[in-house]
Amino acid sequence: MSTQSTSSNIALDYVKTIGIVNNGFNGRGFANPYDIVVDTAGRIFVLNRCDPARAAAIRVGICTLDDEYLGEFGKGSGTAGGQFVWPVAMALDSQDRIFITDEHSHRITIYNTSGEYISHWGKVGAGDGELDGPAGVTVDSSGDLFVVDQHNSRVQKFTRDGKFIVNWGSFGGSDGQFNLPWGVAVDGEDNVYVSDWRNDRIQKFGNNGEFLASFGSSGQSKGQFRRPTSVAVDSEGFIYVADWGNERVQVLGPDGSFELLLQGEATMSKWGEEYLASNPEEKAEREISNLRPVLPDHLNTPYHISSQTEPYFWGPVSVSLDNQGRLYVTETNRHRFQVYQKR
Amino acid sequence: MINNDTALMAHLLRRAGFGASRTELEGYMAMGYDGAVDALLNPSDPGNMPDDLIRRYHVEQSELRDLAGSAAYWMYRMISTTCPMEEKIALFWHGLFATGYAKLNQARSLLNQVEMFRRSGLGSFENLLVELSKDPAMIVWLDNNENHGSAINENYGRELLELFSMGIGNYTEDDIKECSRAFTGWTLGNAEYMAVRASKDSIWPYGRIAWHFDYRDEDHDDGEKTFLGETGKFNGEDIISIIAKQESTARFVATRLFQFFAADEVTEAGDKAIQEMIATYFSSGYQIRDMLRTLFHTEYFRSDEARFSRVKGPVEMVVGAIRMSGNYQNPALGIEKVSDTMLYMGQGLLQPPTVEGWHEGSEWIDSGALVERVNFAAKELSDVRSPGVRSIIDRLQASTDDGVLEPSDLADRCLDLLGPIEVSDETHSVLVDYANRQGALDLNGHQPGDSAEQRVGNMLRLVAATREYQLA
Repeated sequence: MSTQSTSSNIALDYVKTIGIVNNGFNGRGFANPYDIVVDTAGRIFVLNRCDPARAAAIRVGICTLDDEYLGEFGKGSGTAGGQFVWPVAMALDSQDRIFITDEHSHRITIYNTSGEYISHWGKVGAGDGELDGPAGVTVDSSGDLFVVDQHNSRVQKFTRDGKFIVNWGSFGGSDGQFNLPWGVAVDGEDNVYVSDWRNDRIQKFGNNGEFLASFGSSGQSKGQFRRPTSVAVDSEGFIYVADWGNERVQVLGPDGSFELLLQGEATMSKWGEEYLASNPEEKAEREISNLRPVLPDHLNTPYHISSQTEPYFWGPVSVSLDNQGRLYVTETNRHRFQVYQKR
Repeated sequence: MINNDTALMAHLLRRAGFGASRTELEGYMAMGYDGAVDALLNPSDPGNMPDDLIRRYHVEQSELRDLAGSAAYWMYRMISTTCPMEEKIALFWHGLFATGYAKLNQARSLLNQVEMFRRSGLGSFENLLVELSKDPAMIVWLDNNENHGSAINENYGRELLELFSMGIGNYTEDDIKECSRAFTGWTLGNAEYMAVRASKDSIWPYGRIAWHFDYRDEDHDDGEKTFLGETGKFNGEDIISIIAKQESTARFVATRLFQFFAADEVTEAGDKAIQEMIATYFSSGYQIRDMLRTLFHTEYFRSDEARFSRVKGPVEMVVGAIRMSGNYQNPALGIEKVSDTMLYMGQGLLQPPTVEGWHEGSEWIDSGALVERVNFAAKELSDVRSPGVRSIIDRLQASTDDGVLEPSDLADRCLDLLGPIEVSDETHSVLVDYANRQGALDLNGHQPGDSAEQRVGNMLRLVAATREYQLA
């Protein structure tokens, strides 16, 4: 079964799946991962949002593309320095600093890639520089930070040290307005792309907020979105969108035209293989099962299909790129990420 | 003096819903009683908190891997719905066709079952039983995945007759066997793998895999069967068709509906209402909606005798208090703790104690549960920061000419706005005595959380602690 459409302009080859559900507080595996950043050395940092029962395990896990689990950092759940309650997204700057948003504590927390807590900033409110539910975050080529301020329906631009520069947006569905926006990314020219979550579209702005374009509308057709959560733009200007509500990823051309659709084609991760090797009874039954079932009509929605079609994306909350042309799709509900290579 | 029309509407909404704030009550009053009954029985847009919002903030309610997040998800639905009957009927069937998490370890499929109750719970009972028999959570719960053409497992067949339709004494052991034969081959997709995962509570490698129905023709016993005096090569649907037309089934369904929606105890007058519901069962083609419409229009239901004749179940108690307080209208941390509270009161959503469901009525009340119930309701309704309580304060002020309430008026109007709740003379004098301690209440210029508002909060706390508040 094909789970990817084709395009004459771009092709993505499935590489592998990394991850396994982590039910404890330490060790390899992920707990409702929400975002990924990859450093120049190829280390993959995975933000674990965690559920309330495992809130003490909120952390960033680190692994490599070769399935090596390097460890994790974080200080658990709470509002003390270095802690998180509802972490959402990460951005990595050129100084190996990771900025992590927390939509519950209304702050940006900074760690370095060695896992050392540096500082945090952010004050709840609606004034310039104040935050109400910070979600997506990204860094432009100047090192300035863009934060999606979801409940204030705007994007705010800060210096790397958290000094307010400018903001734009208001609540609504017109150009330049937002409805619970989530993800943000910049392209090679430092234009800013925002996944305008509840308006089912991607909006493109200049570096200081001048509206440039809007892509997509509500729906399940190609080029349409259902609650897009995350956006990323590669060096050629292709726009990758986590079409979360449709449980898929879409790729748009630089002009916003539809190019490619991914539904997910996860295979067994190395960590998963090791689990099954030590649980032969489960493995034997799994091998004779059909994990791509045809479902009854009342379950024929993307969410339900993905809930019982294991290879498909389920909760594809984030799309991230590295400097090698790889795409990382973070799946909250499957505790893993799928890796694709741009041809 | 309580307005009787208002009291009757409040009574209807305690049964067909979870009680009502005064604003909700006024909306239904505008429809008139008959219009309100029709609106409640014909849910359209439930207007509940949308799934996308819930999933965005609550990863545990997006994945639905564990019990806590799943129960909390249903809580949100019940708290925020504008079609309370849809959730109430789902809760009714959840108690009757009691399916629990403990054996399944599969919360997503349990919630799919609840969704099926929403979808089909007011329709034909015959159709509902077919859907129930195809429900993967029920199949695993009562071992129908182990019911094979070559070797039957009677568990589902037995409970279908005993607990889900006709009731004991209306069939034979042979009927159970024949019924079970008819349901061979009714299983779930990847049944063997899912059974292993369920038995091991396995979440590996990638979390749970939800379930769907699968019919295995090769595992179905297609031979001739004799069931309740009829003979044929029956499949499951045929068996249910025979069950549905039994008088005992009609009485069973009518009685259970009556005890959930009308009164814990069936009096002589109540039995007359049940008889009317039985007649409707047959005349309507087994439609639950029509049976309830009949019930809500019976003389019994509209009489004083039916009011406050049920002990609120823990879910009704908790959801009703939160809907009144107006809290949790947006996704928020802590909702999972609220669903835990119901468990401490004796009713954990998605975790009935056995296939027989919960023992209801006065059995909800023991000393531990009562403390939990009173503490929860009193805390929820006395917080003057809550939007629903703020609305009550505003209404209290608006009900006076000069913003000043005499102590007895404070007690009476709090009773009115939380219900109306009818209390005994003894309870009433306790409330008035309490209000008298501080004299008249001046709400002019009241500010959030000031002493005047706090006096209202304290009175609401006291009302929530009365015996009468425990009743629906």
